[in-house]
Amino acid sequence: MGLLSILRKLTSTPERELRLLLLGLDNAGKTTILKILASEDITSITPTAGFNIKSVISDGFKLNVWDIGGQRKIRPYWKNYFENTDILIYVVDSADKKRLEETGIELYELLSDDKLNNVPLLVYANKQDLPDSLSASDLAQALNLPSIKDRTWQIQACTAAQGIGVREGMEWVCKSIKKK
Amino acid sequence: MQFSSNKTNSSFSSECLNKRLQQYSSKSSTCLVSLAPLSNIFHKISNNMYFSFWWVFTYYLRPIIKWFLRKTTGLCELQRICYGEVSGAPRVKAVEQSLNSSRSKQIRQLIDHLNDIAENRRFTGANEREILKGAVSTVLIVKKINPKIHYQFVIAFGKCVEQIWGYKQLLAEVEQLRQAQFDSDDLNHERKLYELWENLMPNEKLEGRITRQWQDIGFQGEDPKTDFRGMGMLGLENLLFFATEYKAPAQHVLSHSMHPTYGYCFAIVGINLTSMALSLLRDGSAKTYLYNASRSLPTIRLFHYFYSFLFYEFDRFWMECKPKDIMEFSSVRDKFEKNLRNSLLNSRMEFRIALNVENV
Repeated sequence: MGLLSILRKLTSTPERELRLLLLGLDNAGKTTILKILASEDITSITPTAGFNIKSVISDGFKLNVWDIGGQRKIRPYWKNYFENTDILIYVVDSADKKRLEETGIELYELLSDDKLNNVPLLVYANKQDLPDSLSASDLAQALNLPSIKDRTWQIQACTAAQGIGVREGMEWVCKSIKKK
Repeated sequence: MQFSSNKTNSSFSSECLNKRLQQYSSKSSTCLVSLAPLSNIFHKISNNMYFSFWWVFTYYLRPIIKWFLRKTTGLCELQRICYGEVSGAPRVKAVEQSLNSSRSKQIRQLIDHLNDIAENRRFTGANEREILKGAVSTVLIVKKINPKIHYQFVIAFGKCVEQIWGYKQLLAEVEQLRQAQFDSDDLNHERKLYELWENLMPNEKLEGRITRQWQDIGFQGEDPKTDFRGMGMLGLENLLFFATEYKAPAQHVLSHSMHPTYGYCFAIVGINLTSMALSLLRDGSAKTYLYNASRSLPTIRLFHYFYSFLFYEFDRFWMECKPKDIMEFSSVRDKFEKNLRNSLLNSRMEFRIALNVENV
């Protein structure tokens, strides 16, 4: 750490802390997105047993990102992490058409929870690189996102494994927080 | 964690040296060998403000001390290590450290040459003896050692070279296996998946390839293929080895994983432990285990044994921690890894699965 950055740390006001919740079905790409945000290596990812958490500084915010495992057995625990959430990020495997219905059901279950009332929603349409993956707009239609009226939402196409599109999504997150 | 430290001080003896020289060399070697880890620390510190002082020490003073000991004992540093350190990890690590800090051009060339062989995994079979012979004779010439008098050094040093570059070769092999993705079209991959089921659940028949039953052994969904992720075939091979070579312990661990409160996902946790074993292998922490467990060229089986040890011990640790639910996995895992790394710091530690009779 250089002297300059230490000085800057001392003088600047502390960053505002935000709590981001990263949810979605298993194998959607949540941990990959988390690692991309933290600029970590993504070649050795394993299925998440329990959860991972990382703090990232971005745009004057300190983002505490909670990545909760997506397998069916773990989903009942999701609700334990809802409290004080600033942004909900929902990750969808755009090529996993078989489980499109399942992912939709889980999403609306989340949106109907009181603790997540008015919490802005970012949907990552992940794995755009895979053949016959749904585009972001098709996925938005399939998940019936335009029907959501009680909060701001955004859908962002991305290929997390190549680091494409993740940053754009986070820019929206920071913007919508500033508006609040 | 169960371990036993039953290494005895191997003799410093070289029968052809007289007793006095023996005592002398053993004394000096202990003091010199302790320089190796010291220089390691100095190297780390050299990144900050003490830079110049330590740099001067390691760069100028160490060779002077080495020269002095060489003149007084008549032995080079490698000899002092091979005669003075107990066999296994303490000796192999010290030799490795000494070779890596060598400034001799021939030794550096030898290291590059051996690294190249290990990375391309050519350190096998008939090649092995040739390569070892070449490495030993290079050192004999550079260090002006008479192999007739120091035949024990020749044997001990050769074994060290075998372990050091066997480890590097193993790392290359393990990485290759990790990069191989599970492929449903590969019959061999599919067969291994079925074998895993049969070994873990011998009394239950699998109803199909895509079935919820996979969740019984801790996969996430109906098809395990997406669960191996970044660990690729290494994850499956690890699980399969544990389930076949340690059949009873593996089933015992599996039964714990089905516990109503302390239960966890056997396969998923297993794949996460593959990742832990790999990171320990990559950063060199696993050297203590491998150098102590291995009597010949380390093979992939040794890595599987290491993994099996990790899995069995993790299960025990998990049950002892009495976690509230699976959401405590990362904190329990981190604690387990910290303890394990602490134990691995002690080069004399030997690790083995402590099987209780009632478990088997």
